Amino acid sequence: MRSLQLLVLSLFALPPIAGLLLLILPKVLGRIVTILSVVALSAISVYLFVNFDKPFQILIPGYSDKAVMIADVLLLAYFAFIAIKRKSVLVGLLTIGQAIALGYLIKLLGNHEGGIHAQFYVDRLSLFMFLLINIVSGIIATYSLQYIDEEDCSPYRKKFFMFTMLWFIGVMNLVVSADNLEYFFLFFELTTLASYIFISFRKDKESVTNALRALWMNQIGGIAILGAMIFSLSTIGYETLSFQTLVTSAHTVGLLLPLALLAVAALIKGAQMPFSSWLLGAMVAPTPVSALLHSSTMVKIAPFIILRLAPAIKGTHLSLAIIALTGFVFLAAAISALAQDNFKRILAFSTVSLLGLMILMAAIGTQTAIVTSLILILFHGISKCMLFLNAGVLEKKFHLKSALDMDKLAESGPFTSFIVCIGFISLMLPPFGAFIGKWFSIEILGSTLRETRGLTALVMLAIACGGAVLSLLYFKVMGLLIARSGEKDKVTFETTHPLYNINLVLLLSLILAGVICLPFLLIGYFGPVASDVLGSAVAVDVQSNFSISIGNMSFPVIPMILAFLVLPVSLFISLFVRFKKVDRVKEYACGEKIDYKFNSFYFDTEFLLPYFKAVGLVFFALIIILTVI
Amino acid sequence: MFELKKFRKKSPWILHFNAGGCNGCDIEILACLAPKYDIERFGMINTGNPKQSDILLITGPVTKRTRERLVEVYNQMPEPKVVVCCGSCASTGGIFRGMYNIEGGVDQFIPVDVYVAGCACRPEQIIDGVVVALGILEEKTKEIEKTIKLANKPVVEEDGQVNRRNMPAELTYETAV
Amino acid sequence: MQSIIILSILVLLAPLVGGLVYGIERKVKARMQNRMGPNILQPFYDFFKLADKRLVMVHSTHAFLGVMHFISIWVAVAVLIFGGDLILVIFLHLLSTALLIMGGFSTRSIFSHLGANRTAISILAYEPVLIIMAVSIYAVNGSFQISSIIGSEPLLYKMPLTFIALLLILPIKLKKSPFDVAEAHQEIAGGAEIEYSGIFFEAIYTAKWLDYIFVYALVFLFGGSNYLLGAGLVVGTFIYLNALDNSSARVDYRQMLKFSYFVALPVAFINLLITLFN
Repeated sequence: MRSLQLLVLSLFALPPIAGLLLLILPKVLGRIVTILSVVALSAISVYLFVNFDKPFQILIPGYSDKAVMIADVLLLAYFAFIAIKRKSVLVGLLTIGQAIALGYLIKLLGNHEGGIHAQFYVDRLSLFMFLLINIVSGIIATYSLQYIDEEDCSPYRKKFFMFTMLWFIGVMNLVVSADNLEYFFLFFELTTLASYIFISFRKDKESVTNALRALWMNQIGGIAILGAMIFSLSTIGYETLSFQTLVTSAHTVGLLLPLALLAVAALIKGAQMPFSSWLLGAMVAPTPVSALLHSSTMVKIAPFIILRLAPAIKGTHLSLAIIALTGFVFLAAAISALAQDNFKRILAFSTVSLLGLMILMAAIGTQTAIVTSLILILFHGISKCMLFLNAGVLEKKFHLKSALDMDKLAESGPFTSFIVCIGFISLMLPPFGAFIGKWFSIEILGSTLRETRGLTALVMLAIACGGAVLSLLYFKVMGLLIARSGEKDKVTFETTHPLYNINLVLLLSLILAGVICLPFLLIGYFGPVASDVLGSAVAVDVQSNFSISIGNMSFPVIPMILAFLVLPVSLFISLFVRFKKVDRVKEYACGEKIDYKFNSFYFDTEFLLPYFKAVGLVFFALIIILTVI
Repeated sequence: MFELKKFRKKSPWILHFNAGGCNGCDIEILACLAPKYDIERFGMINTGNPKQSDILLITGPVTKRTRERLVEVYNQMPEPKVVVCCGSCASTGGIFRGMYNIEGGVDQFIPVDVYVAGCACRPEQIIDGVVVALGILEEKTKEIEKTIKLANKPVVEEDGQVNRRNMPAELTYETAV
Repeated sequence: MQSIIILSILVLLAPLVGGLVYGIERKVKARMQNRMGPNILQPFYDFFKLADKRLVMVHSTHAFLGVMHFISIWVAVAVLIFGGDLILVIFLHLLSTALLIMGGFSTRSIFSHLGANRTAISILAYEPVLIIMAVSIYAVNGSFQISSIIGSEPLLYKMPLTFIALLLILPIKLKKSPFDVAEAHQEIAGGAEIEYSGIFFEAIYTAKWLDYIFVYALVFLFGGSNYLLGAGLVVGTFIYLNALDNSSARVDYRQMLKFSYFVALPVAFINLLITLFN
């Protein structure tokens, strides 16, 4: 037990230390240190997951509470500095708001004579997030070693970028294991700071504007957390700052306002409409940043918080409001994405959309829903990471940003276009993990219809339509970049830098391994994690007819194996297969031999975005109003 | 043994190509498909796609513009295939013969199996021609059929608006296909 | 064990039956137009003829994806016949369509691209209705498993509106007029399947037969344990589809989407709400 605690602490400490070393060491040594530390982090998180038996707390001596408080104040001071430096009124006002709330909180804490709470609580959910954060972000960190090297900026800034990335990984590890809300607030605000630093990295006007937007939006989340702490301290029954106590005592107290405020913070971090624009603005930063924010770390705080809250809010009005919001966002973001041409913007909208689905599943809170949410978090993380890293390759090697220009990609970069294909397909089709999430979510919503008397029927409709819209979106993009003329029958892969290649191949094999191991993962991985989330055992059993039952759902294995053989395997083969004895002809174009430029259908849905945001705002208000009533 | 060859006769799919005619013959071909003559009872379908058809029905004289398209479409048809010229223009150039924009009959460029006379040819005649063509189709092998001219004759595209590519280099079908 | 053998035989025979259905359809359509029409075995003649053509393709990836389209649709039909999960079956069918679409996109052919784009849009049009149908069946029957649906009471009486919605989107699914924009022979010469020839086109052609089996099996589900009713529904749907195909003109893909979202989807959704509040 003690060794496990130490290992968890090493997860917190190792990334910042490696980052500091990186600042000092020369380039090559820095690279080695980064790669070694990333491998160590991944190994530790795997070891932790394997050797874990029951949830434990980590107690840090009491004076660290004071240190956290001082860090909070310093952070706010820095925000105020940014506000003055960039002349941003909004950031300034929100910082003042945060400062007032923080001051009130400190006063409350002075009056409050609570017992000593453990600051950290590590259960399987934390370990699940550790795995995702450390492995996927580790891959991103290795990748960005090369990427940032090709960036046009001073060597110091390059090192600073890597340093920020590494300490950010450390902060993410802290976020998912913090139990004391005070600590949680600090780490939450640190991630906000990291997003500000990342987004404003390129220093041009657009970057700074977007970074400030990210800052103030996430500051609202910070205020919500402060509010949650204040309410939780002043509500009779809670009087606690511990996340766990808050969740477990919610049923007896009945007032859900602190939980609702935490959920609001989560939804803002998860870029749900109308707060989606901070995540969309994040694409002005270097591409690894997008990969980091979208896939494994920043936005995944949202489903993580909701998963933590799930046992307390299950079946309440609060969860219904969250379900309504996220179901709406799933559809709205998918529709908005259709109008986009920029590759990264398309990916960003699809992230917002799928995040909605994850949060929705977490908010429903039944056994199967939790498992589905976990499946989505994991596989969406891996697939999105691969897609974003690939977007980086597209930018650096092929100088392509808009999907409309990717006309001849399959000829000049078959491997890159193949990765994009697999990435998109793994988000929508069987047998991939994200598809399983979509499938289960429809069935779960279908099966909860009776209990909610049809209230979730509209949400189910939104999921059904949103799923179809997302497929159309992916087909639209794929159609632009897989066209190859008949003369290029033999595929010769392009050469990219090994640091790019290795990481992409690693992610690709993770996706495929995830498909193959899914039955085992369900039993040995998602099942136990879901049990820890719910606090009660989740029945995941193997049935006689080669299917796995999760709660009241069953996951048939044989069709999945068939689908695996049909889809990913056949896509692989289709790249390499050569029909030797078959003659070639040109494509039919009524006898013409002109080289055509290909395009896709244009969907004019951009004008809907303000309306979507307005509706999203109404849902946010609904979350608060419903809980207050 | 199970002879695949005899099924050629039972499902000939048609590709209709107008090489520059006056649309008289085209209307007659469409009349064949209509309920009165109904060539679908022989299993024929007008596919509109060279890659899936067996019979190439050509109407009209070959103009300078359609020549390369005709050859290209012909080359995209997989063997065994037959070519039927519908009407006098397609067979010889007809009344357009000798005009500045006309290259002549179809048989100058691709091998023709059946000539259907008439201006315009009647639907009965077309059906008759196709039935003759079916007999030829059954005897053909899967050997590649070559186009007649164009192989060595350099082609100069007079109007660069449509096609700027170097056609002679691409059209050496004798070796390429 | 015995039932598994019977089901396997059914799966193996599915393309044959589908071909027969297609043959009958061509005959019926011709008779509706006062033509004689081809032989009922005509699809099989086509099949053998296509096998006899010289092998020609654009490039290997394209040809291979066509073959995989056929195999994947067979997988979907097999899971359907073996009584798997209804929503899984719908998505497996989506997978097979995806392979066709990717095949269409993989060449640099304009018609192929247009057809693939339109096929993707038609997925958008019919998929939500199919999913709502599956969920409504769950609301009535308490299970997504086809094997238990087929053993229960006839669904038609409890969800007539869903059946109507299904009938409304079936022409989109089967690429029949008025919703045949994806294929549109006179306009884009067959769409995504245009570049296939010879034995590779045969795969696409046979996949079309399996598509019939898939669709009519979905219709058959509405009969529940009353197989006679199911068969009647299949025959009725068959006649309806052909009559509609013969009597209507093609609409734009926008009109198709509007029709699907403002007519078919609400109809299915209303039925879902009715079953919930009963």
